Amino acid sequence: MKAPIQGAAICALFAGATPALADVSIMYPDWITALVEPAIEAYEAETGETVTSTRLPTDGYDRRIAVDLAAGTAADVVVLDSFMVAQLADAGYLASLDEQLADWDQYQQFMPALLDVTSFDGTAYALPVDTDVRMLWYNRSVFEEAGIEMPWTPETWDDVLETATTIKDETGIDYAFVLPAGTKQGEAATMQGFYMALLGADTAEGERNRLRNWEEGKWIADSPAIRQVAELYDEVYNQRELTEPSINYATDLGNATREALASNELGIFASGSWERSCLFNCNGVDIPSPEERAEIVGWTPWPSSGAEGAEQGANVSGGWAMGLNAGSGDMEAAKQLLTTIFDYDNFQPWVVDNGRMAVREDIAASEDFAANDYLAAVTELSANTTGRDTYPGYQVVSSLIQDMTGAILDGVPVDEALEEYREALVDEFGEDSVMTLD
Amino acid sequence: MRDPRSSWASPWLSGSIPVLVLAALPALLFVGVLLYFTLWAVVFSFTDLELFGRKATDWSFVGIENYERLFTRRGFLESLWTTLTFTFFSAIVGQSVLGFLLASTLRRYRGSMRGTIEVCLMLGWLLPDIVAAFLWSATTSKTGLVNQVILGPLGVEPVNFLNDYALQVVILANIWKGTAWSYLLYSAALDNVPGEVVEAAKVDGANGWQRTRRVILPIIKPHIGTNMLFITIWTFTYFPLIYAMTGGGPGSQTETLPIFLYQQSFSVGKLGYGSAISVAMLAIVGVMSIFYLRLLKEPK
Repeated sequence: MKAPIQGAAICALFAGATPALADVSIMYPDWITALVEPAIEAYEAETGETVTSTRLPTDGYDRRIAVDLAAGTAADVVVLDSFMVAQLADAGYLASLDEQLADWDQYQQFMPALLDVTSFDGTAYALPVDTDVRMLWYNRSVFEEAGIEMPWTPETWDDVLETATTIKDETGIDYAFVLPAGTKQGEAATMQGFYMALLGADTAEGERNRLRNWEEGKWIADSPAIRQVAELYDEVYNQRELTEPSINYATDLGNATREALASNELGIFASGSWERSCLFNCNGVDIPSPEERAEIVGWTPWPSSGAEGAEQGANVSGGWAMGLNAGSGDMEAAKQLLTTIFDYDNFQPWVVDNGRMAVREDIAASEDFAANDYLAAVTELSANTTGRDTYPGYQVVSSLIQDMTGAILDGVPVDEALEEYREALVDEFGEDSVMTLD
Repeated sequence: MRDPRSSWASPWLSGSIPVLVLAALPALLFVGVLLYFTLWAVVFSFTDLELFGRKATDWSFVGIENYERLFTRRGFLESLWTTLTFTFFSAIVGQSVLGFLLASTLRRYRGSMRGTIEVCLMLGWLLPDIVAAFLWSATTSKTGLVNQVILGPLGVEPVNFLNDYALQVVILANIWKGTAWSYLLYSAALDNVPGEVVEAAKVDGANGWQRTRRVILPIIKPHIGTNMLFITIWTFTYFPLIYAMTGGGPGSQTETLPIFLYQQSFSVGKLGYGSAISVAMLAIVGVMSIFYLRLLKEPK
């Protein structure tokens, strides 16, 4: 009963802002421009219609798309981080693709495991754009200056901390080990930082290294694994001061790590497979050749905490996706734009050129994808990967994790930060939906 | 017999109820629009409404839970303190005092120097917040102007100001940004102080400080009150410059209430809690406004 009133109010408020029905609109983050723009041109050439496109900075994009969809002002075709799909679909903002794309002959090419990530209740609500794995990137010239042997193969967190400490002592740089933290970069802090450490924290038996226990249907407020990761943050930011916290809050967040790398102020950086191009330029504009880039940076899989039974190289995959606004004024046009973007001839070159991991069988099987060494290596990492706990509510849990890392970075003791995390989870989901692992 | 109280109204208006109602409609609409958003926030502050997920459509009333959490959970009180510090130092001490000093000093000068300084002051004010944020962040970075031109030659090790002195830097940036307003307002106020009064005080043997303290300040007191009212409200709710520069960080060092409100509402997605924060902010700003409005009243 409440929803229609609210909906009507929102409609009344924003009626003036809805774009004309004849046009089809799309909103996307800056980094994906090289995939979207050629398709827009192709669509316009074919249909004679204009596409209203909104290209936004990647920072803060998640919030904008969620607010737009909630307010009913979103574009017809929306690009979004895959972790948001379940939640936004649950709220009824996204159109079911199983229905919409049933007659599109390329739909079957998408890998079922990846469509799973963008599904809710067994129905796909978005097409995956890419998937990824995560690792530790390192700056070869900084390592050389600090006298660290390469290729670098740390086996425990302690190895990483020791290496970073050596870097700090030998070179005096500001960002010896950047472990993403805090609220400003949103999901990146949860995925590239907290979650990657979490997966290798405790014994791999019995799903202990997660934020949610799926069997019992509860969020995990406290566990040896979560505690260990919180202590790792404390070690990096407070005990050893391996990085100046401000890099997590930089004014020009997207460029901060890139600049730090270029000026050799960055030692180790916990991030993902996209950095192969994004550490230079996500859209591949004016960047060194793949060989030259491999001379500048190296990467290594995340080690485990060193605890008994903890797993080496465990990984979590995310990726971005593209869906259709359930409230779109012209679903047919929106669908056509979507399938133009994902058409093999537009999609495949982008995947290979940008070193993205394939989400379609036919792209994975294509010759130049298979011939790419880097893609072969990261695909190997994905043998042992998992998804995040994208049960509805994950967005809140992830934000609370970011809050927790921010608090630790602020000097709040680990025990206190964990207790506050537990309280916040109980506030949100109730005592019955929250548990503690011993 | 006619009610004498209504004698001010035109007989045509007061004679017909429908016309009266019709004439009142625009006013009601205006008041309604003003109250609409505030009421919206007040109502939702008692709910668990969220931005996405189930509670986006299926929310329920939770009583005063959100208000309790303002005091029992980390965030609100810390942010309130940060906001008060930011407002006190950047608006009240910085912009207002600096604006007054500049206005009283510069009025003695005419010509190009005054013009140049005025233009420089205005530039800070006119520059978009986001541009200003990038400028300040570049200037105070380790390789920025301050380190290169001032600290470097003095032999001081470069300092990453946004890391080590984040709150101080955003306070300075806001002083730079907002002083022009106070300067303009005080300049206009000082122009209205009658020269004879100041002259008379001078003849009576009052020195410069005494003339300012006992003659000029009392005359421009209403202007000071107005200015304080404006800049306090603006600064208390000021968002873009700090958000772009630091996003509230490092940690929560520069997390003022507007940023805290934004984070809770749109990152965590708790619109209900966010509404409670905004209602609390409204109350705080309201109390401050009353304080200043009392200051504005002429002493009888």
